Amino acid sequence: MAQKRPDRTLGGVHDTFWQYCNQGELRLQSCSRCNRTFWPPMPVCDTCGTFDLEWKPLSGRGKVVSFCTFERQYYDELPPPVDCIVVKLEEGPQFLSNPQGFTWKDISFELPVKLTFIDCEDAAGPFKLPVFERA
Amino acid sequence: MGYDLARMRDMSGKVAIVGVGDTDYHADYAAARVKDPNYHFLDSEGLAMKAFYRALEDSGLKKEDIDGLGVSGPVIHERMAELLGIQPKLNTSGSIWDTMSAAVNAIYSGQCETVALVYGLAQRSMGVRYGGAQIRGGPMSYYYYHPWGWSSQGAHWALMFKHHQLKYGSTEEQLGAVAVTIRNHATLNPNAVMHDRPMTLDDYMQSRYVCRPLHLFDYCLVNDGGVCIILRRADKAKDLPHAPVLVDGYGVTTGGKDNTQMQWLVEDMFYTYLSTSGKQAFDMAGMSPKDIDHLQPYDAATVHVPIYLEGFGFTKQGEGLEFCQDGRIGLGGELPVNTSGGMMSESYMMGWNHVVEAVRQLRHEAGARQVKDVETSMFCHCSMIGAYPFIFRRGA
Repeated sequence: MAQKRPDRTLGGVHDTFWQYCNQGELRLQSCSRCNRTFWPPMPVCDTCGTFDLEWKPLSGRGKVVSFCTFERQYYDELPPPVDCIVVKLEEGPQFLSNPQGFTWKDISFELPVKLTFIDCEDAAGPFKLPVFERA
Repeated sequence: MGYDLARMRDMSGKVAIVGVGDTDYHADYAAARVKDPNYHFLDSEGLAMKAFYRALEDSGLKKEDIDGLGVSGPVIHERMAELLGIQPKLNTSGSIWDTMSAAVNAIYSGQCETVALVYGLAQRSMGVRYGGAQIRGGPMSYYYYHPWGWSSQGAHWALMFKHHQLKYGSTEEQLGAVAVTIRNHATLNPNAVMHDRPMTLDDYMQSRYVCRPLHLFDYCLVNDGGVCIILRRADKAKDLPHAPVLVDGYGVTTGGKDNTQMQWLVEDMFYTYLSTSGKQAFDMAGMSPKDIDHLQPYDAATVHVPIYLEGFGFTKQGEGLEFCQDGRIGLGGELPVNTSGGMMSESYMMGWNHVVEAVRQLRHEAGARQVKDVETSMFCHCSMIGAYPFIFRRGA
């Protein structure tokens, strides 16, 4: 059963990101020349200015570097408490996400986590949301 | 990335703040809370106008003397010029830090002589919210993570403090000392929204979480108000009613690479933004942290205070929160902070009220909350959009 979620930012490069998610893949843009990986999506490399960015598959491994829990409701779809984590991905970028199968009470500094997807739905339709479980 | 230090040094102290005005934060908030039907509530334009006329009177200048205008809030500059009945030679809009640096540059370059910066925002009356699905603008981090249920400006500060806790072992009690100190200052300011609401550390610890680990009392207020600040060539500020307050230095470091993925917020805790922009401001002023008597940090949340102390070099990294204990940031302490109550307890004026308080302190007219013998004050905003410090000095 798909969870209702607040609307994604869609259009252009954002659609590409979610299309990969829907195939069960976490891919982020990277510049092979500058060895840079970007998140959120970019129109160009921030270093060399090339528009030729490649959607690189990621390992899905990372570590929790911060987290917070919303105790006040911000979205109709999500009654509190809502746990969020910042995952430092193995490839560098920091990725804001949700813990899957654990809560803030289980988190420790640099807790190793691995990628999984959950079935969600917003106004644009069903989609797979990248979240993280304990590695 | 160099800058011409000789030219910046030459600009130091050439422009003065000569007038400040603000609105009745405490009375307006109290009336709004009880929905007083007989109270004359002002909208954003009205609040800005009230602050302007108070600042003009404070400055001893005439409206005709104003030849530059900076505006902030929902009021746009052509409408403001119309309401004021002036034809400015400088129009600038944005935040207090953007408009103030533009005003200093324009006055120093000779483009104009006297600039009024005007802000008004009836945010409580307008029901402005700073999080949730309706947010679709501003920095990408304000809206891009909606599908994960992550929203609100305040949540940024929760992530930053959590990282500080994980890395340095900081505690909520230590952070509570910041909230309590700033609230104590507000009780000495009759115009502060929270003037009559003293708070203990126990009150703080008992308050509900908004975004764990931050409590309600870690966050700034949401209230209506207006502020006006009038700047003028320092050499034409000597015969006015008050001691001029000189703009001695400022710096800017805007958000750069990887800003939206929150690397600078979380792991860096804005150290790079603050230390880089702080060096510019200190260099321009010819000062260092030991020369600063009074600090006015933009307190969107308590955690900003230790972050600024670390970033500007008042303390070592990781020691900012320890410095905030035992009265060091209170009146009579080593470095009094947000002496009017800041945005947490005086008024959420997006940094504008911080500048007003710096001016009142440097004029030595802050009454019960006056910092003894204060000669310099530093104000700074820092968030996902960058860091913007200013250093002020009491002029002759």
